[in-house]
Amino acid sequence: MKPAPTLSAAFLHPAGQLLPEPLLALRKQRGTALVDMPLPTRKTENWKYSSKYLKLTDDMAISLPADGKSGSSLAVPGYRVVFLNGVMMPEASDYPDLNGITIERFGDLDDDTAATLADRMDSTLDNNAVQMARLNSARFEDGLLIRLAPDAVLDQPLFIVHEVTADASGSAYPRIFVEAGRHSQITLVEEYISSGGESVMVNTVTEFTLADGANVTSIRLNTEGDNVQHIGATGVRQQRSSRFESHCVGFGGPLRRHDLQVRLEGEGAECKLNGVVVTQGKQHYDNHTTIEHVAAHCNSEETYRNIAADQSHAVFNGRIHIHQDAQKSNADMNNKNLLLSNGAEIDTKPELEIYADDVKCAHGATIGQLDEVSLFYLVSRGIGRREANVLLTMAFINELVEQIPVEQVRETAHSRLNQFFDQTFEGA
Amino acid sequence: MLSIKNLHASVEGKEILKGINLEIKAGEVHAIMGPNGSGKSTLSQVLAGNEAFEVTEGEVTLNGENLLELETEERAREGIFLAFQYPVEIPGVSNLQFLRTAVNAMRQHKGEGEMNAAEFMKLAKEVSKQVDLDPAFLKRGVNEGFSGGEKKRNEIMQALLLQPKLAILDETDSGLDIDALQVVSNGVNALRAEDRAILMVTHYQRLLNHIVPDYVHVLAGGKIVKSGGRELALELEERGYGWLGIKDEEAANSAN
Repeated sequence: MKPAPTLSAAFLHPAGQLLPEPLLALRKQRGTALVDMPLPTRKTENWKYSSKYLKLTDDMAISLPADGKSGSSLAVPGYRVVFLNGVMMPEASDYPDLNGITIERFGDLDDDTAATLADRMDSTLDNNAVQMARLNSARFEDGLLIRLAPDAVLDQPLFIVHEVTADASGSAYPRIFVEAGRHSQITLVEEYISSGGESVMVNTVTEFTLADGANVTSIRLNTEGDNVQHIGATGVRQQRSSRFESHCVGFGGPLRRHDLQVRLEGEGAECKLNGVVVTQGKQHYDNHTTIEHVAAHCNSEETYRNIAADQSHAVFNGRIHIHQDAQKSNADMNNKNLLLSNGAEIDTKPELEIYADDVKCAHGATIGQLDEVSLFYLVSRGIGRREANVLLTMAFINELVEQIPVEQVRETAHSRLNQFFDQTFEGA
Repeated sequence: MLSIKNLHASVEGKEILKGINLEIKAGEVHAIMGPNGSGKSTLSQVLAGNEAFEVTEGEVTLNGENLLELETEERAREGIFLAFQYPVEIPGVSNLQFLRTAVNAMRQHKGEGEMNAAEFMKLAKEVSKQVDLDPAFLKRGVNEGFSGGEKKRNEIMQALLLQPKLAILDETDSGLDIDALQVVSNGVNALRAEDRAILMVTHYQRLLNHIVPDYVHVLAGGKIVKSGGRELALELEERGYGWLGIKDEEAANSAN
């Protein structure tokens, strides 16, 4: 038998030395653990449909330069932090010095804070399930630590713009850690964009810890180019009565993978996970979500929609694990999929593991096409084919787009969706 | 206005219409009656341009223009309107959005400017009153969760908004109680105009008590077998379809 391919050693040599000592030590230790790590193949269960899209070459192991030259206009109003190729750009960032809210780049942390952070990093993720994202821990060169003191409230959304400049082959490893104290509140928008056309990889990890009663909204928008492979993981740990809300809007690419893992560890915690994925051409997008109901009386609600056009390929895997002590859990997972062409493929898999006996757990998954009768009804009123197709396609995701609580993100999503409709329904 | 000559149409290879001839002039109201399976709905769908039906022979012109060469949306813009027998539910598209998109598509075709949201809302509220629909329905999904009667009223509301040249009403009376029938009929009567024709397809005579036709045609076996004035409908009610030599089992029931 042919041995499974392993991660090339080229990927295990981080370049930047910007970090404080405890984080450098952590990075080194994580890197050592990845030596000879097998890369996922189609026999790897959680990469079954996606391993063929993963194409890592040695020249992609090179850290992309963070020389401060930004290829895009980053005119984000309000609070923002800009990361260029995984390194924070203070001069492009603008955020307040608010009572109770500390926003620091990893490079600026004192050793004590860095040591505490090093202890907590990766603790929100099941590292066996996010094997590719582990590379981030071995390679991150900077990052952002956001700490909210008890009762602190960020009065506006904080935008984190992750730009990758693909002027040469390489990779970037952005990293975010958010500690939300008791009853604190924050809305965080992560926007992933790219410029340049060379093959690059973005490998990103975002972690949230929510203390009792904390309220965190996380919005994630992926609009990188067709030369960017994106591997991302988001880990969330929630204590008593905390609330986490996530809105992921993603447009496809050569490889797009996002693992979202939520652990409901305190009674009364709840999470709401929404996701919209749109793929076209030969694009790919794979969302893997896991909700761990560890404590009793927690609620989870998950709604994902995939739309695949042309020869594109979307994957959804939603796992709900209700632990033995998690009585009175209430979990609801729903995934609907729309195929816009005969050549498109969508794979969806709900995975339920339930070890408690007094729970409510509902799940549903559908795959369908645009309804011909509805289409006829619309055009019989004089509505053009393109418009009718757009109305029906938007009907499929509109509810989720409208739920995104930040107007600017909704606008960006709509404008990207219009581009998609122009390309998909041209000549219709 | 509408001229149908020797129209043949099939669905999935089975011929349903077997040579329809019909002339409708502006200002006229025609009723097509007939037993189940006679081809009434097929005729409506073919005129509106449903691609599930294949026209194999014949011609249809609207004011001299060859209708069969036009796409469904082009026919609508030229003034064909079909009130569906089974209006479609489209969750996720609001009635308001649907109606405004349709009205603006028509306006654009006529070279008129688009109506903005506020202008359209005002118009939609007025017209919804005409068919006794609570304006709150505008915010709901297209026909989503509507009762049968509400769906039919929504169809007539669309006709009132789009002001077609030829309104085809496919079984618009089916599933309506007497009050709803009155409301729908009032809406249809409001549509009557010198420059507009109405073609009603119906199984039952009772609609014709409310919307009095100028001409009545009996469709059977894919052909018009008898034409006459409004008195023909009454005769059908009295005598059934049997005296016309129609053997369909449904025929006996249909005139009751």
